[in-house]
Amino acid sequence: MNRNVFLRKLGGRLLRTISISFWVMVISYSLMRLSPGDPAEARLGAGADPEAIIKLRETLGLNENAFVAFVDYFTGVLRGDLGVSLANDVEVLEIIKRTFPLTLTYIVLSVFFAFIISIPIGTIIGWSNKASAVYVFRGITSIIIATPNFFIAMVGILLFSVKYNWAPLFGYVSDFPGNLKYLWLPITVNTLILVSIISRVLQSSVVDTRAEEFVETGIIRGVSRPRFFWFYILKPSLAPTVVLLSYMMGTMLGATVILETIFSLPGIGRELVGAVLANDYPVVQGILLLFGVITVFLSFIGDLLAYALDRRVKL
Amino acid sequence: MSNNKAFAADASRKERIKEWVSRPGGFGIITGSLMFAAITLVGFIYPLVGPYAADEFVGESLEGPSLSHPMGLDQLGRDVMTRVFSAVPADIGIAFLGVTIPLTIGTVVGILLGISKNKYVVSTVSSLIDGINAFPLLIIAIAMVTFLGPGLFNVVIILTLMSWARYARIARTKAVVVLQQNYIEATKLMGYSKRRVISKHVAPNVSSESLAYALSDFILVIIIVSGLSFLGFAARPPMPEWGSMIADGRTFLGQAWWLTVFPGLAICWSAISLSFIVEGLSRRDRGNS
Amino acid sequence: MSNALVQIDSLCIDVKVTRTRRLTIVNSATFDVHPGQLLGLIGESGSGKTMLCRSLVGTLHRRGAYINSGSLTFNGIDLIKATPKEWRDIRGKEIGYIPQSALAGPNPVMTIGAQMAEAIQLGEKMDKSVVRKRAIELLEIVQIRRPEIVLKQYPYELSGGMKQRVMIACAIAREPKLIVADEPTTGLDVTVQAEIMQLLKQIRKDLNTAIILVSHDLPLINEVCDDIVIMHAGSTVEKIPSAKIQDTRHPYTEALYRSRIDLVEPRGKLVTINGQPPTVGDWPTGCRFAGRCDYAKPGCSADVEIPSIKIGPNHLTSCIRQAEIWGK
Repeated sequence: MNRNVFLRKLGGRLLRTISISFWVMVISYSLMRLSPGDPAEARLGAGADPEAIIKLRETLGLNENAFVAFVDYFTGVLRGDLGVSLANDVEVLEIIKRTFPLTLTYIVLSVFFAFIISIPIGTIIGWSNKASAVYVFRGITSIIIATPNFFIAMVGILLFSVKYNWAPLFGYVSDFPGNLKYLWLPITVNTLILVSIISRVLQSSVVDTRAEEFVETGIIRGVSRPRFFWFYILKPSLAPTVVLLSYMMGTMLGATVILETIFSLPGIGRELVGAVLANDYPVVQGILLLFGVITVFLSFIGDLLAYALDRRVKL
Repeated sequence: MSNNKAFAADASRKERIKEWVSRPGGFGIITGSLMFAAITLVGFIYPLVGPYAADEFVGESLEGPSLSHPMGLDQLGRDVMTRVFSAVPADIGIAFLGVTIPLTIGTVVGILLGISKNKYVVSTVSSLIDGINAFPLLIIAIAMVTFLGPGLFNVVIILTLMSWARYARIARTKAVVVLQQNYIEATKLMGYSKRRVISKHVAPNVSSESLAYALSDFILVIIIVSGLSFLGFAARPPMPEWGSMIADGRTFLGQAWWLTVFPGLAICWSAISLSFIVEGLSRRDRGNS
Repeated sequence: MSNALVQIDSLCIDVKVTRTRRLTIVNSATFDVHPGQLLGLIGESGSGKTMLCRSLVGTLHRRGAYINSGSLTFNGIDLIKATPKEWRDIRGKEIGYIPQSALAGPNPVMTIGAQMAEAIQLGEKMDKSVVRKRAIELLEIVQIRRPEIVLKQYPYELSGGMKQRVMIACAIAREPKLIVADEPTTGLDVTVQAEIMQLLKQIRKDLNTAIILVSHDLPLINEVCDDIVIMHAGSTVEKIPSAKIQDTRHPYTEALYRSRIDLVEPRGKLVTINGQPPTVGDWPTGCRFAGRCDYAKPGCSADVEIPSIKIGPNHLTSCIRQAEIWGK
């Protein structure tokens, strides 16, 4: 595409991403206002000291006009101030900084491994002529995808922690390589699910690509094998996979909540659950905002990558 | 070649059914539907005819699976099998509501957006929709539990508030596409009233797409509802519900595997049967296997 | 006959539909192609012409098809028994292929330059500047303006006509002896169609390449090609020099010729051919055109071997009753 047209489209898309992020912020902030009851009272309990309730309302900005309160919040966020935890007075940003890296680590590792495994599987099955292989593949992946991740995790724990004791039931050590012992099972569970999803999309994408005329032309031209594999099979098929992946990252972030609860990992998911149970609104809002913005930007990057792979993709 | 029989106007009903089944995907749709119907029916009937009640204490706690209790007993001595099947209205029923209500609201909003000529309204609402869709469903559901409180009923409300946006997006995109089609132009030229165009042409096409998505969404919502319960945010004890049963069983994982495995299998069964249907439908759409 | 470039004799191509069911797509194809000859291949959809093309470039297996019987020789090499190595030497270098314009064309994820380089090098190592020069040269032959810019572009930036020119450029890159062009202009504008036909004629003249031009457009083929082979329901029913098209000796060709749109008088009726071609696999016995033929007699549908009757030096027909209908 013409340089200028591309930059213009890119700019437009970036702008849209930012405006959606703005809405994300609005939504995550306004949730508190949706509570039927009084959030401060909910937090402190029904029989709490009325003065304490008033003070809390003040802190939470509930006494001010919603618009003003939001502007306050908004400017705060831009400065890096996401509020302070009601439970222990720690800055929300600090809490995020403390817990997010772990979550990010195992997610990134899962995605990485999943990709490495999915590409050969998806391509080989997509290219294959054996209907039986395709049936089996799609059957197994359907089942894995339909199974809730916490069930797979529990089965994993049953097998590997209870029966065989290859993985500890809880606890966590943060330095490498000690933490591998605690991380391998959650990463494996995650990777298994991801592989099912990614290889499936890749497989159907390869099937579509295979039917295209230019592949036939490539064969007739006698293009070399590795070149053919990349330029005629993989590259034209990867785009939908990448787009899907960026969407999946969002869902995976969601799944971390459950995974971390099951495996007792001190990541951001578990932090969120704790904050919800304790009615710790600033923390909940902060984490929610984080997840929302990350998902939006991931989808932007995903579409960009897809475009880089296959120019037919619309930006 | 032999399919031509089914196209003949005088094809018998049996032949027509046979032809429908033999088309690609037929196997998946039928198997999935049967499986899903099975668990739903058993779920509604078994608690009425079964020997025990869901909260009846019938024996020693943590007894393993046996002939009289095929799925064992839980830590309070309740029959797991009864509880698993009693949970069907909760899990599947709530999920059903959590899909159909957003489906209706979202599709209507989406079509309206597609028709609307007001640029500002459309772009604002679209941004709002994109904003809502930006959050992973489980995360925002959990966050909303903070503000709205836990409970199955609240879960339906939460799901409605969050899911309608996804349906609205799909409906709007499809509505826009449909409206650009030539046959819509044709109806305008023929003088059809706007209402007729929408109800006879736009709505059916959009709905079919939304419904297809709704089926896949059903699977997702079942898993989310049980996930939320697992975390303690939806169903509360002693209500039987698969997610919370799994959560309860976690403590006894080493001693009583049946507490977690059977509810989990129930979730799997529901989700897998639905995904067979979805897979069958998509194979049919593609025209091959 | 012996100096023919391509010799196809009673070729039969089957397709594996399921593990047990086989369908015959091409029942009996017979014709020759000589060096530098522009041969047109005409037929309705389902006549088997595309499968025939695929057999010439060796990609039948991709669709589960295979040659059941008959012979197919190119330049003396038996293409049915050709080894992968022999195919590698033939494809691209001896036989070029231009795909149907409507379906696709260049690989959408590669630049034009990259694909031309592929077509030029065909796996051999060549100096980059040599390749680039040749690519520009080829683009100029196919009348693409500003070739240096086109080299850097992606297919979606080009029009249908330009994409097809690129495909032609790739096909002639190694100056093959034969080019198989499968409906190269279907779906393109009429003016572009004319330009591309002109281009093909020029290429034939300059490079002395034989070209097999497949189409369903008889007037077009008639105008451009030296000879025409007409296919119907999986068989070659007539081979005739295009100049002699009006002296056809096969009812199908006659019907095709008479149904040309340019023949219609203002407010006149369009002449059509009765019926539909028989469904693939559901071939009737005897002459497969008999069901639609104006001249058919019961004997035409009898279970007899369809002959190949020589009328003139370059004219073959397979109408059993040709002598009765048109005289000796």
